[in-house]
Amino acid sequence: MTRTFQGRFTPWLFAAPGLVWLVVFNLWPAFNTVVLAFTNAKPLGGGHFTGLANLGRALNDDQLATALLNSVIYMLVCLPVLTLLPLLLAVLVEKKLPGITFFRTTFYTPVVASAVVVALIWEWLLEDRGLINGFAQWLGVIAEPLPFLTDRWLLLLSAISLTIWKGMGYYMVIYLSALGNVRRELHEAAAVDGAGAVRRFRSITVPGVRNTMLLVSVLISVSALRVFSELYVLSNGTGGPGGQDMSVVMLIQMYSRGFTGHLGYASMLSLVLFVVTVGPMLLLLRLNRKGA
Amino acid sequence: MRFPLTALTTAAVLMLAGCGLGDAETPANSPAASASGGVTGKVSLQTWSLKPKFTDYVQGVIDSFEKKYPGVEVEWLDQPGEGYADKVLSQAASGTLPDVTNLPPDFALPLARQGMLADIGRSDTAALADYVEGGLAAYRFAGLDGVYGYPWYLNTDVNYWNAELMKKHGLDPAKPPANLDELIEQARTLRDKSGGKVYLMSRKPELGDLTNAGVKVMSDDGKSFTFNTPEAVAVLDRYREAFKEGLMPKDVLTDDYAGNAKLFTEGKVAWTTAGGNFISSLAVDNPSMAPKVVSSKAFGTPPLYVQGVSVSARSKNPAAATALARWVTSPDNQAAFAHLTAIFPSTKASAGDPFFSKSDGTNGGDAKVTAFASLPEAKMLQPVEVGEAISKVVKQQFSLAISGGATSKEALDTAVAKADELLQQ
Amino acid sequence: MRGFTGENVLRYALLLLVLVLTVGPFAWMLSTSLKGSGEDIFTEIPAFLPQQPTLNNYARVADSIPVWSYIANSLIVAAMAVTGNAVGATLAGYALARLRFRGMKLLLGLTLGTLILPGEVTIISQYVTVRGMGLADTLLGVALPGAIAMLNVLLMRTAFAAIPDEMDEAAIIDGADAWQRFVRIGLPNVKGMLSVVVIFSFIGAWDDFLWPLIVLTNPEKYTLTVGLQYLSGAFSSDPRLIAAGTMIAFLPIAVVFGVAQRFFFRGVEEGAIKG
Repeated sequence: MTRTFQGRFTPWLFAAPGLVWLVVFNLWPAFNTVVLAFTNAKPLGGGHFTGLANLGRALNDDQLATALLNSVIYMLVCLPVLTLLPLLLAVLVEKKLPGITFFRTTFYTPVVASAVVVALIWEWLLEDRGLINGFAQWLGVIAEPLPFLTDRWLLLLSAISLTIWKGMGYYMVIYLSALGNVRRELHEAAAVDGAGAVRRFRSITVPGVRNTMLLVSVLISVSALRVFSELYVLSNGTGGPGGQDMSVVMLIQMYSRGFTGHLGYASMLSLVLFVVTVGPMLLLLRLNRKGA
Repeated sequence: MRFPLTALTTAAVLMLAGCGLGDAETPANSPAASASGGVTGKVSLQTWSLKPKFTDYVQGVIDSFEKKYPGVEVEWLDQPGEGYADKVLSQAASGTLPDVTNLPPDFALPLARQGMLADIGRSDTAALADYVEGGLAAYRFAGLDGVYGYPWYLNTDVNYWNAELMKKHGLDPAKPPANLDELIEQARTLRDKSGGKVYLMSRKPELGDLTNAGVKVMSDDGKSFTFNTPEAVAVLDRYREAFKEGLMPKDVLTDDYAGNAKLFTEGKVAWTTAGGNFISSLAVDNPSMAPKVVSSKAFGTPPLYVQGVSVSARSKNPAAATALARWVTSPDNQAAFAHLTAIFPSTKASAGDPFFSKSDGTNGGDAKVTAFASLPEAKMLQPVEVGEAISKVVKQQFSLAISGGATSKEALDTAVAKADELLQQ
Repeated sequence: MRGFTGENVLRYALLLLVLVLTVGPFAWMLSTSLKGSGEDIFTEIPAFLPQQPTLNNYARVADSIPVWSYIANSLIVAAMAVTGNAVGATLAGYALARLRFRGMKLLLGLTLGTLILPGEVTIISQYVTVRGMGLADTLLGVALPGAIAMLNVLLMRTAFAAIPDEMDEAAIIDGADAWQRFVRIGLPNVKGMLSVVVIFSFIGAWDDFLWPLIVLTNPEKYTLTVGLQYLSGAFSSDPRLIAAGTMIAFLPIAVVFGVAQRFFFRGVEEGAIKG
């Protein structure tokens, strides 16, 4: 043990700052959430232990069932699309062409555009008399405008498109950093061998960013199950007629915010969503292990 | 066991201060407590979204207060419009509510229930005579004794009509609809004459519309909702028919209150309800439309919107805090405020001010006068117990009924059940 | 200039297509921020190009709110967040990816787990923690909870895990200790992901609204996103001013992104020579 960073505590030294943050700013609030889930806590006052009352209420909550269904559909559509499209986009902007920085930056702007601006633009596209309906009617494809923003399924579809539109740039950035590590020599060797772009993508790019793809797909499923702002913005916060287009996080938000929020019940909903999310994640990790 | 103890001491301090203040109190019309009442120390004043437009005004009010009471130092905190509920909530939850805070009645209710606000009915009875009854009533809550805020400024809604669109499509803007029947009839005319291009209606009914139709929204004790009546069913059915007939844009189903005004600003609909200052904001967003808008009185009982300031029950300088709250809401200071923008004072002294009852001849001035004339009969149409979550489930069910996804009766029953659930505990 | 090969033409065609799809918000904001006060903004079909283009709205933003001090506050918070994440998340990511120790799997699981639990209900409890540290109404209090984000730890772990094991083994034979391996082999190979973490933490800190609003009480300490809310006040909101404010807030993000994206690739020179 002559050197400082050779001992058995070395890994802990590296992990220490992260560990402190994990405990103080992540595990402690999480612990609070678990405790609150079994109380009738409100933001001000309340907080008596109510046993499994919140769980019973959740199991009988038809709005929660609808919201869970929405979230799962959301995930099933977003997962394949957002795992692949951003990777293709990253490959497209990877090559250093004149002006490429401009394109990369612009592709990223939807990620940071404010919700208000995004809402304005998408409503302008999707309204009854919006651009898309107007164009489709002009072409004669449809007679009546499609209710993109008020029909239960169309609204969900519109929100999914918005998620994909916003997510492209975000995941593109993660992929770009990983592509930098895929060895250029491999590409060049393959090109010399006469392998086409598609084959190079499948046999060199994809295996090279495998770990990143796994991480990205985990992030996509977590954030798809936790979708909030897209549905919120497109429905003006209403969650659609009858609240049929609410996601679980919209429900959590509805119950937890405000002076008279049901913090206890909202915490229980958070736990429910946690349990639901763990499933697909374990599956993804297992698939990866098998594939490796 | 720390909280009850602090609460006790605070209450004791408050009562002492209240007595001191009462003794030194000048006659009812004077806005401020006497300097001998112990009006000293540092107090904080929190306003909501008044910077930067009213920085000079508020600073002037504070400066004159500090001049009047040389021992007082006021710290002014103005919070942005967005997220104010979260801000106040985190302050309340962590025991850092400012001494004097601008709270609308629905924010004040939960804080008053937790004993966090001073009851001015007890601490400052003399002040009550200054304010109009509607303003004070907004800060009296079912199940609680007392008054938990000094009424500040008031507003109401008036109807705005796009005269250009109406004229173009066969309607007379001088005779706008005066009730729901006429509204639906004229909406039909407008739709037919414009070939379905322009709508008149773009608004879902709200709880206020039920109140206006004679429905009792809530029980007197404020513990349960009662708006699933046949009269309410009738109101929803009328809108549902109108929607089916294509008299409203489909997007109305997910549009909130602002959506209505937004569609109006975009020139897609010819009617909106909004506060007395709507034309001035229209002049900013769509300057070419602003001069072509006329106003009329709201249908039925006009809604009353109240803003007020409350004194924290835990204030370290309750005498100074109370004096400051009264100073901010005094007749003179309120009148000066109302001269700057289209809001209305909650003090009786301003009732006869010709500034509010005489138009300057512009359509904006007319709207302000219409709003002012509506104030005496205006009432809070929605109970203060209706918080964010409750109003959301009500909105969802109303919109489900109008879209035809459920019968009006089913939707109302669901809304009442869910709202009751949210109200409880 | 290299010639326009068929491949490059195709690339530019695709780039332009995606550009059309993504540029909307940016173009709308820019156009609105340049519109004169006599122009209609919310007509049914808003004019795309300003008819009376003016920079006046930007000047008015600076007149209405202390925009420079808000920017300074935001920069301080963002700098703390970037430093914390670049250091803390990198170290933790390295430990999780390249060092073997008991409890590693548990730690990794917990880190992942905290990502899954919705944070909506924890914001008040988070505030109570920060207040308990005496950091209410301070910029440090705003930056602290996000100073090491678990997402970034995971990103860094993935990047470190991609380094071939042989490189480490060779270094161990040479007698390098963990720190030396971290500096010599680890860091040079994760520059790309490190720049992603810098971008994410900068933007996260820069764009956050609700948290700084709750932590900060004194308006002088407000960050830019919170301060810009004053432009949409209760009795006054001019979309042109709001758009100008949004553009001002957007510029630093574009700069940080533009600078950091150069490090996505292992060596800038390498790309320049061979690309």
